[in-house]
Amino acid sequence: MDKLKVCHLYPDLLNLYGDRGNIIALQKRLEWRGLGMELINISVGDKFNYNEYDIVFIGGGQDFEQEILLSDLSIEKKKNIKNSIEDGVVYLAICGGYQLLGTHYKSWDGHQFDFVGAIDIYTVGQQKRMIGDFMFICDDPKLNNLTVTGFENHSGKTYLGNSVKPLGKIVKGFGNNGEDKSAGARYKNVFCSYSHGPILPKNPMLNDYILETALKRKYGDYSLAPLNDITENDARNLIVKRLS
Amino acid sequence: MKIRISTAIILARITTFLLRLLGSGGTSLPGKAAMIICKNLLKILAENIKVIIITGTNGKTTTSRIISEILKTSGKTYFENKSGANLISGITASFASNSFLNGNPKFDYAVIECDEAAFKTVCPMIKPHSVVVTNLFRDQLDRFGEITHTRNNIVKGLTASPSSIVILNADDSLSYSIHDDISNETILYGLNSAPYGDDGNFLSDAPYCIKCKSPYHYEFRTYAHLGKFICEKCGYSRVDPHIYANEIELFTNFSKITISINNKVEKATIALPGAYNIYNALSAAAAAKSVEVTSKNIISALASFKSGFGRMEKLVLDEVELDVILVKNPAGLNQVINFLSSDDKDKILVLILNDYFADGTDISWIWDVNFEKFNTFAKHLKEIIVSGTRAEELKLRLKYAGFYDSDISIIKDYNKIIKKVISQNNENLPVYILPTYTAMFDFRKTLSKKYKIRKFWK
Repeated sequence: MDKLKVCHLYPDLLNLYGDRGNIIALQKRLEWRGLGMELINISVGDKFNYNEYDIVFIGGGQDFEQEILLSDLSIEKKKNIKNSIEDGVVYLAICGGYQLLGTHYKSWDGHQFDFVGAIDIYTVGQQKRMIGDFMFICDDPKLNNLTVTGFENHSGKTYLGNSVKPLGKIVKGFGNNGEDKSAGARYKNVFCSYSHGPILPKNPMLNDYILETALKRKYGDYSLAPLNDITENDARNLIVKRLS
Repeated sequence: MKIRISTAIILARITTFLLRLLGSGGTSLPGKAAMIICKNLLKILAENIKVIIITGTNGKTTTSRIISEILKTSGKTYFENKSGANLISGITASFASNSFLNGNPKFDYAVIECDEAAFKTVCPMIKPHSVVVTNLFRDQLDRFGEITHTRNNIVKGLTASPSSIVILNADDSLSYSIHDDISNETILYGLNSAPYGDDGNFLSDAPYCIKCKSPYHYEFRTYAHLGKFICEKCGYSRVDPHIYANEIELFTNFSKITISINNKVEKATIALPGAYNIYNALSAAAAAKSVEVTSKNIISALASFKSGFGRMEKLVLDEVELDVILVKNPAGLNQVINFLSSDDKDKILVLILNDYFADGTDISWIWDVNFEKFNTFAKHLKEIIVSGTRAEELKLRLKYAGFYDSDISIIKDYNKIIKKVISQNNENLPVYILPTYTAMFDFRKTLSKKYKIRKFWK
């Protein structure tokens, strides 16, 4: 079987605390099932081939780096990202990466930045940051009311348009905007969240669901063998207990 | 006014005394109390003494201790703020307990470690003789925000104290860039060759030029984003440092280098392991130069230095060697892992991760640490214990770095850890304890109940 091709988009710019852990988690959970992963790093000046990748990962970044990135996001690169999303490529986008897939970002002092526009969401900056451990319950019935925990640290408030569904409902913390209890976003095979932590290692069901979505798209019907997730669940449950 | 100063000093001392009576090493309350009586106490007490401030993300405490050692060697008297009392209140309290009641200093020098966020208020009050900026790495984003924010705060502090001599790391593109925003006299230090060779596995906190945002090239890199950086687009590049190391040889407990001070090259031994401690030693040497200590005294102190608790302090308890090394961000922990991999002795490892405010409540940084490197010396890690409020996450991180669940034990009770690594350590294997900030103090407290070790606030 071919290796799953995972594209890490802007790994040197969007590399805030721990987001790399999601790549490690995807790779390990494939490896433990005898499956391989090929990692392709795409950054400034690199071409983004929209039909080449099975999973695209985008992490969060600092404002300083976001400016470099915006000047690199050519019309062509934006179009390729949009096309791949419409084509069903699986995306995991965290924090700044999540905002980036939306239409635009309006800073607290009124400047507007146009983003990729691949999904119908936008973000409004505010001066107060939303920081802390947080917890949400996934809406997708296939995720079986899974409780996800992570760490959020953002000043942007994100609002979802009609074509986009939230990934889950906030139980503790702020989520997308601290107002409507929505957490993250789902559109086609795109998964978005404000969760650092990183999100995948201690939420293995979500990790496997993302892998399965990519495997099914590539090979038709596919289900992953279960793994021993005691260590993963212990790490998550510690925070669930704290926040409950 | 004089009465007010004396009253404030007395109040700070009484508060300190009472706290110690209660068995607390509390360091911020005495300063706060004194500042209520006399708001400008710090400014007044710092006026008649030469102050050296040490700030930056990593290596502040070690650098401060080396500077003190150099001053001691050259026969100068000094006091320092100990045990992480590095915010304005703790620093004020340190000055209060080291001044006479009339406000005059008891010593020639004050060696003051200052939190990088507090620096912008502390520096303008003290107007120090010299300021060392050790380096800038990403650290506790939940507390400090972006790294450029920390940098700009340091610039603010320095701008308000233009007569201070500023000591900067030439190899650090982030902190060296401070040079262009200030008018102060500067002394630069750096490494003129790469200590680890170029293994190409660098996690950089600053891949893009701080001035024009195009990627840096490196003639060589020492670690993380440090090295001989060059921006081909705008020309912002490392310049030759005034004080530098060359011919670097790393050993388990020390390093050998040649050190160049004022263009004179001499052999030197740094009595601490790891490349990051060569940087600490060079910055301390530069600080000593700024107060006109002779090269001979500097080199002699570098070789005889012994570090403090949590900064490579070696304790020997019941014949077991115990090293406690504070870890708090990826750059620091990666350097400790480099150091641990540098010998082929069997060892016991204890990692303690807390997520209280002072540690940083966001612990996701452990996923940026190159724990995968443990695989290259896993056979020498005879036992791995994880502890702290987030022990479970550490265990998970190590699982995804390639260890089995059964390789890692979670022990939350420090007494049990101490028992296991000391009394039940039949082969007397060396033990390395790597705690985050609050864990370091808690662990030390537990240890000192069992063994006689000096209290940290003394």
